[in-house]
Amino acid sequence: MTANKTIILIDEIDYIYPNNTIALSKVSLKINKGELIAIMGQNGAGKTTLIRTLNGLIRPTNGNVYVKGENNSTKSIAQLSKIIGIIFQNPMHQLFSNSIEEELKFSLRNLEYTKEQIQQKIDNILSKFDFEKYRNRSPFNLSGGEAKKLALATIICRDPEILVFDEPTLGQDAKEIDFFLKVIYNELEKGKTIVMVTHNIEFAFENIPRTILMANGKILADGPTEQVLTNDLLVKKASLVLPQIHQFKLGLKEIGIDVPNEIFKERDMISFINNYLKVRIANR
Amino acid sequence: MSFEFLNSFKFLKKKSIIHRLDPRAKLLFAMVYTINALMFTEIVPLIFIFLSIIPFIVLGKLFHQWIKSIRGLAFLYIFIIIINTLFITNNGFSFSLAMIIRITTMISAFSIFFLTVDPNDLALSLISMKVPYEFAFSFSLAFRFVPTIAIEAQNIIDSQQSRGYEMQKKGIINQIKNLFPLLVPLIIGSIKRAFNVAEALESRAFGSKKERTFYFTIRYSVTDWIFTFLLLIILVVLIFIRLQIIIMPEWFNWGLPV
Amino acid sequence: MSLIKFNNFSFRYKGNEEYALNNINLEINENSFILLLGETGSGKTSLIRCLNGLIPQFYAGYYKGSVEIAGKSTITTPISDLSTVVGIVFQNPENQLVAMNVEHEIAFGMENLGISPREIEKRIKEVIKLTEIEHLLERAPFEISGGEKQRVAIASVLVLEPLLLILDEPTANLDPFFAKKIITMLKKIQETKKISVIISEHRMDLLIPLVDDIILMENGKLVGYDDKNVIMNSEIFHKLNINKPKIYTLFKGLEYGSTYFNKLPLSVEDALNFFRQFN
Repeated sequence: MTANKTIILIDEIDYIYPNNTIALSKVSLKINKGELIAIMGQNGAGKTTLIRTLNGLIRPTNGNVYVKGENNSTKSIAQLSKIIGIIFQNPMHQLFSNSIEEELKFSLRNLEYTKEQIQQKIDNILSKFDFEKYRNRSPFNLSGGEAKKLALATIICRDPEILVFDEPTLGQDAKEIDFFLKVIYNELEKGKTIVMVTHNIEFAFENIPRTILMANGKILADGPTEQVLTNDLLVKKASLVLPQIHQFKLGLKEIGIDVPNEIFKERDMISFINNYLKVRIANR
Repeated sequence: MSFEFLNSFKFLKKKSIIHRLDPRAKLLFAMVYTINALMFTEIVPLIFIFLSIIPFIVLGKLFHQWIKSIRGLAFLYIFIIIINTLFITNNGFSFSLAMIIRITTMISAFSIFFLTVDPNDLALSLISMKVPYEFAFSFSLAFRFVPTIAIEAQNIIDSQQSRGYEMQKKGIINQIKNLFPLLVPLIIGSIKRAFNVAEALESRAFGSKKERTFYFTIRYSVTDWIFTFLLLIILVVLIFIRLQIIIMPEWFNWGLPV
Repeated sequence: MSLIKFNNFSFRYKGNEEYALNNINLEINENSFILLLGETGSGKTSLIRCLNGLIPQFYAGYYKGSVEIAGKSTITTPISDLSTVVGIVFQNPENQLVAMNVEHEIAFGMENLGISPREIEKRIKEVIKLTEIEHLLERAPFEISGGEKQRVAIASVLVLEPLLLILDEPTANLDPFFAKKIITMLKKIQETKKISVIISEHRMDLLIPLVDDIILMENGKLVGYDDKNVIMNSEIFHKLNINKPKIYTLFKGLEYGSTYFNKLPLSVEDALNFFRQFN
């Protein structure tokens, strides 16, 4: 894998709506191939506008977006969508076919595949997503969680190098979130780059290495998640709240229990408490 | 272009004498000016009628939006000129110019109406004209959801394009086929929305057997009566001219030689 | 007297083989803050629809048993009559704002009920203060943010002075800060008005410290309704695929967890109290 190779470069972009509202102002960002990134911040901070510039749905008023070294302004949405797949919040905004199989076929039709290749890809994705038995079912009979899973499948089957999600965990229960994680880690292993807009602090804190905070159309912070989401001031500015584990850690320190600074994740915290309690109870 | 054009019919909260007028008075205004414009086919009287609308636009502080709506019609104007000049042998160009002024007048009148009437008051004025509450309410409900549906449509387009859907397709059949990925989610979404709205309405006692009260009321003020009177005078004078009860000098019927 | 009483109530939607609700027996009392939990598709929304008669009056289907609201049967009493007892705020605020500005929106329900304009004015003043939307009265629904829409939706239901307020995932689309604000506001309303509030919500971290009781649903069945401590220490809660609070999973993951405490800590504060005993 070629690490540290820039795949997305956003260079000082502004976006101003026709009614003169400023959605993005002087946003610059560099994303490397193979990264997993969260974009967080208040509603209206410009997160979804930013991701829409990636595949050309929105063209910046000023500044440029480069994907794989090429300027987006020279490419159509259709061309860019082959490299970047965006999965939006509401799956019902894209499902329209008679059957789940047809739905997947639609996603594949503008790519240069033969009929056999398409069929193979569909079979592949159906089994990966455990949809085989639903193959001929109407997508409209799916539950909210399953529809979201199908929307994910319709993009994953196109095999884009960059995957972008808008609120992927919204309305998903624990089992569905686990499945989603499995899918994105699998894609990461293949060298894909993944960006997601999310409000789910606990999810981001536990699973995503880098976080970008946005507020009022600007980037407020960009760095390792453990640093960004534990910064009280930044978190407040972005209308978020501190992750529970961090709140807990701060509280423990206040009581006088010395929690090592490098503990951020649930698993590490559990083993710390386990050890602490063992020692404490033994000394009692 | 098309969406920009629709914006010039969307209510804009502003403080002006025109905004303060009763919606019924403004509805009368739009109708009177439509009749005025339809009565004449000659350029000169149409110009006069059109010019008499401009003070209302200025008073209502609507110049900016109004210009936009007119600009949005440019395509239609060109179309009218070409068709009329080509197919009407007798002074086609002159006629098409008159038609353009006529259309501009009518569009302007209705644009003033929609730009200055709060949709809330629109429902109330319908009720005051003895339209049953349920009808008036559905009318305002339709208004209410226009922006919501516009946003949903944009989201659908974005979602589909992000999975390789291409907007432009060659050939009429392909173009029609190409509408399905947009229309199906939009229709299904709207049906779902209708259910949700109905559910919310039921839960807030819509259709209760009790006699409905109205917290808001509209009133025909002295200014409204003066305005109404003025409109009727203009209308009557123009009717008299049209029926040649008032005889106008010759230049009034002047037209371009082409 | 209990506000709501389900007697062996079952319901299936027209065209569906499976029962969305299966033999529900439930009594909800006044003055408590209740969390409604269950996996997606467990029947939470259907249960909510029963609470003001939308099921079986608005949604067609087959039902058995009965539901009573303040002693009135939901099968025969018109929904509009029940609206003064039970108020529902639905998931998407966008679809329940029906007027072109906030003041009209709040007045709407009261106008339908034939309440006098003077009383309407009084109640609007009170409710906008409670929900902190005084500055929004003249705005149109498309001019305000998601969090503001949700507060307007709550105000427009609350103004009918229901004894039970129900909210179906009220903060699903909000950022965490505003979600917290809405939930704290609801707690305040519940306490000052001494009404009952039922919330169905994914954001348990925020809610658990504030709620009194939990209703647990699984596959259309009611599998628990009790004090939050009892429910969260139960095996059935542990098994369900719901997004549990971080503190819960943290302590549930401890090696000898149950030997240290007989009651799981449910919030950061609870957890810290547990550790205070050592220092």
